[in-house]
Amino acid sequence: MHIVDGALSLPVLLGGTTLAISGLVVGTRALDLARIPAAGLLSAVFFVASLVHVPIGPSSLHLIMNGLAGLVLGWVAFPALFIGLMLQALLFGFGGLTVLGVNTLNIALPAVAVYYLCRRGVAGPQASLAALWAASAGALAIALTALMVAAELALSGEAFIPAAQLVLLSHVPVMVIEGFACAAAVTLIRRARPEVLGMTAAPSSEVATQAPQVAS
Amino acid sequence: MSARSLSFGALVALLLMWLAPPALAHKVVMSAWALGEEIEGEVGFSSGEMAAPGTEVDILGPDGERFGTVAVDDEGLFRFRPRQAVPHTFRANLGAGHLAETTLAVDELPPITAPASVSAEAAPSAAAPPSALTPEALQALIATAVQREIRPLRRELTRLRNSQRLHDILGGLGYIAGIFGLLFFVYARRR
Repeated sequence: MHIVDGALSLPVLLGGTTLAISGLVVGTRALDLARIPAAGLLSAVFFVASLVHVPIGPSSLHLIMNGLAGLVLGWVAFPALFIGLMLQALLFGFGGLTVLGVNTLNIALPAVAVYYLCRRGVAGPQASLAALWAASAGALAIALTALMVAAELALSGEAFIPAAQLVLLSHVPVMVIEGFACAAAVTLIRRARPEVLGMTAAPSSEVATQAPQVAS
Repeated sequence: MSARSLSFGALVALLLMWLAPPALAHKVVMSAWALGEEIEGEVGFSSGEMAAPGTEVDILGPDGERFGTVAVDDEGLFRFRPRQAVPHTFRANLGAGHLAETTLAVDELPPITAPASVSAEAAPSAAAPPSALTPEALQALIATAVQREIRPLRRELTRLRNSQRLHDILGGLGYIAGIFGLLFFVYARRR
């Protein structure tokens, strides 16, 4: 999913970087003291998730988990995912430093989109419905990221339709896995820490006090 | 967020880390070397897996001019006979943003002979009986044999150089904790 140094043309690179910087500014403004732990946590989850590989054909894909980051963080996903991406580039050689902006945009913008589309559904009263929303959020974020990668490759000279087909089709398994992971994570968050999803419902606080006893 | 949710997150991260395979099949790696009068090279993923047969490799000159295109064979190898003593750049596009590139400098190139004279010389030497091996032919044979012997070593080395180690992962998580700790400090002071 990470685009490599040298795969994109200069205008795409500059445009993507500019948009990513704007996203980072918005995200940093939205960040407050109470959200720093959640941001750090999801940054770490994203950083490590990229090491979980799904072998497909000649290549292999890794998890991204940007849907979950978007659901919990909204615009704060930009700085959180940026830090994860930067460390991946520095430590693992994923992507590269010149394409860092474009990769941030590719992964964080779908996260923000998912926040606006699915957050309300995820924080809804019915748990099973919320899990369904979460699953679609996880899958949708991957699909949007794949589409953005294909569009950027197309703008840099690769034909859009085959590139998009390749990127999208090869990410279908990842979409399925992330859908499940996202649904599981949201179900757990709703039980243990509903306020992370902006829920203030009284009945769920009863569950929250019971859940740790069951867990331990 | 309390210590409990933080420890839950750490647990998730550890679980994901445990699931992670030690090697990474993500980065595309490419290397090229001189073999006899040709340049041989290989394209593959950093896991040690080779590129699909038929993957095209473009050979470019120092100013971006195209010398030719070769296809990767069943073992992920490609061969190219250089014609000019200039740096050769090999570039493979494996699609979906996977791009690999490597450059051979002039002093790494194999000895360059005119294509016509090569085929004229090659025919008689191939027809000659093995007992009449010239020193040059012997040298070429040894070079080929050595290259073949060290190929798995080279592959292993590339894989190793690109594989992630636990301390990289732990170091990254430590950085994240540090960066967000720093953010805590900054935001707490601002209040």
